[in-house]
Amino acid sequence: MTKRMTAALCAAAFALMSFGAWAQSSQKVELKIAWWGSQVRHEATIKVIELYQKLNPNVSITYEFASFDDYWTKVTTMAAGGQLPDVMQQDYSRIAEWQKRGLLEPLDSYVSSKTLNLSDVAKPIIDSGRLDGKLYAVSLGSNSYSMMLDVDAFKKAGVPLPAQDWTWNDFEKVAMKIHEKLGIYGIGGGFEVDELAWKSTLLSAGKTMYTADGKNLGYDQSYDRLLVDNLKLLQRLIKAGAAPTYAEYLASFGGSSNNVQLDAIVTGKSAIEAVWSNQVVAVAKAAGPGRNFAVVHLPRLKKGGTPGNFLKPSQFFSVTSQSKNKVEAAKFIDFFTNDLEANKILNAERGVPIAGKVRAALKETAEPVNKEIFNYLDRVSKDAAPTPPPEPSRHADIRNNVYVPLIREQVFYGQITPEDAVKQLRAKALEILLKP
Amino acid sequence: MRISVAARRKNALNDLSGYLFISPWLVGFIALTLAPLLASLYFSFTNYDILSPARWTGLENFKKMFFNDPRYWKSVKATLYYAVFAVPLRLGVALAVAMFLNRKRRGIAAYRALFYAPSIVGDSVAVAVMWRQIFGGEGLINACMRLVGLPGKTLWLADPRFAIWTLILLAAWQFGSAMLIFLAGLKQIPSELYESASIDGAGKLRQFASITIPMLTPIIFFNLVMQMINGLIVFTPALIITNGQPLDTTNFYALYMYRRAFENFQMGYASGMAWILMVVIAGLSALIFKTSGRWVFYESEGR
Repeated sequence: MTKRMTAALCAAAFALMSFGAWAQSSQKVELKIAWWGSQVRHEATIKVIELYQKLNPNVSITYEFASFDDYWTKVTTMAAGGQLPDVMQQDYSRIAEWQKRGLLEPLDSYVSSKTLNLSDVAKPIIDSGRLDGKLYAVSLGSNSYSMMLDVDAFKKAGVPLPAQDWTWNDFEKVAMKIHEKLGIYGIGGGFEVDELAWKSTLLSAGKTMYTADGKNLGYDQSYDRLLVDNLKLLQRLIKAGAAPTYAEYLASFGGSSNNVQLDAIVTGKSAIEAVWSNQVVAVAKAAGPGRNFAVVHLPRLKKGGTPGNFLKPSQFFSVTSQSKNKVEAAKFIDFFTNDLEANKILNAERGVPIAGKVRAALKETAEPVNKEIFNYLDRVSKDAAPTPPPEPSRHADIRNNVYVPLIREQVFYGQITPEDAVKQLRAKALEILLKP
Repeated sequence: MRISVAARRKNALNDLSGYLFISPWLVGFIALTLAPLLASLYFSFTNYDILSPARWTGLENFKKMFFNDPRYWKSVKATLYYAVFAVPLRLGVALAVAMFLNRKRRGIAAYRALFYAPSIVGDSVAVAVMWRQIFGGEGLINACMRLVGLPGKTLWLADPRFAIWTLILLAAWQFGSAMLIFLAGLKQIPSELYESASIDGAGKLRQFASITIPMLTPIIFFNLVMQMINGLIVFTPALIITNGQPLDTTNFYALYMYRRAFENFQMGYASGMAWILMVVIAGLSALIFKTSGRWVFYESEGR
């Protein structure tokens, strides 16, 4: 290399360095945002981020996304290293834990200064992100568990669509009848997978899984019968062929792969499926055009009783305490909540939008399935069990190491009776909850 | 012995330059291996969830592991079951293929490459995904069974009787690295031994039992230790193919440890599990080493 070339290279390098310094001094704000979700959500969210950058050229946003389980692994490691994103998606079942550890930033000052404008949001929805009197999170949408119905299958079987206040008895009859007439499953898998059977029957009886302080179970032994009955009901359906066995569910309906394409209701192998209302859109999309779906409340214990539904903030955005640009982070959440264009892109995939104007505008332009969800959430907000307190941090342990192996697996592989399983569930859950 | 000051200084200087030369490795070892190792030992006596500082709990984790966690023992059982079948099976297949490839014929190099190919993709996620398709409800195996008139409705991956065997089969199929080592070993066996044996009238089987196996024992020994360790830390196939299900029959030790660590954030408990696993592996390796004197044959010992 000649001397002159070296000198030229040095000069070039120096020029680049000084350019870098200059670029930094132009106050480009860097934001990092993280969320979990499905492919549909990733694409929509990235589009909104791009829109935001176009409107705010001084902001440059990086992002990370993952599936639910991977997400928590990721952000927990980030938290340990002080590398948390500025804005992170939060979940109702985890937020208490994160707030307790001081990892989240209170948002009240941004709300009162209207940096984050929540004046168009109903108070109970805002308060769902409030802990110890302070606001730590903004709901990204309202959600409720639901029974998704394949309307065409119901018609073909000559079974009328269930009413809003149907009971578990009605549910069993409907599922059996559909199986008799069409030979398909009345209810697809997944029903027993979440804590649905456990949680919703308790809600329907006016109880909650845990006490408000999260240090004990929220119901006494006399209520164990509810879960037992529900498991037995499902066993009857499986025996009759009106619901898939757990093995079939694992093997054929994407049990462990979380693949919507394989859902029994998508492939036409089932007429009913239990899903979170915000997932209905993705399921309907996977089923393709020309299919008709309706959404109805979860069955309840008795006619005219409390439903097993509650209104859940689908997920939140929180600003982390490790963020260096908290004001900008709050501005982004404001955009996500109130901007009409952004919400048109997001298309209520995170649940029904919380801002009144956005909701009204979206409802008008919505496709039939989305409209169904909007109406469903309207119905639920008038007819739901009170929202239970967020799950205690030990819930994850109880779910993963007690409920799933015991109820989901041993009961449905016929290794243990529902009675014994529920008894053990109580004992082991208490053991975890009462540990100091 | 008396050493002059100058010589001693020179020695020290020598040592120092030696350490300096290996310092990149030393730094790496201390920062990336030793420190985490010690940290995990410490964490195994604590309750640590990453987000909040570790809290000392003494032997609590181990007590829970041994006396109060049925899933733990299930994972131990599953792992041992897997290792007991998968390791000999893989070694057997590896040896058989190695012997098949240890012939002089045209194009043998191509065959070797072909048989080694599965092991290049070996332990990868892609293979696991493929395996899931093959044994799925609508997979290749069931399709083939239907072709020959069998029902072909078995849910291999969701049936507690079969799920673990799909993983054991996968292990047998990934024989490549062991096979390569066997092949190298086979090539070391002097052909005179076979020649004189066949002159003495020994058949193929006798030659295998009396020449091949004894001469190969050092290689078998090495492969056994390596594969046993591999078998006990099996992770990827169980995570991707069966996800530990059904009924925890494929919830192997390493997978369960991962779950405790990264799904429940019980790092202390998981660290404890890791140390127990290490002790067990070290113990089993020591055992194999100890018995090796009785069955491993070294030519150079001059017996």
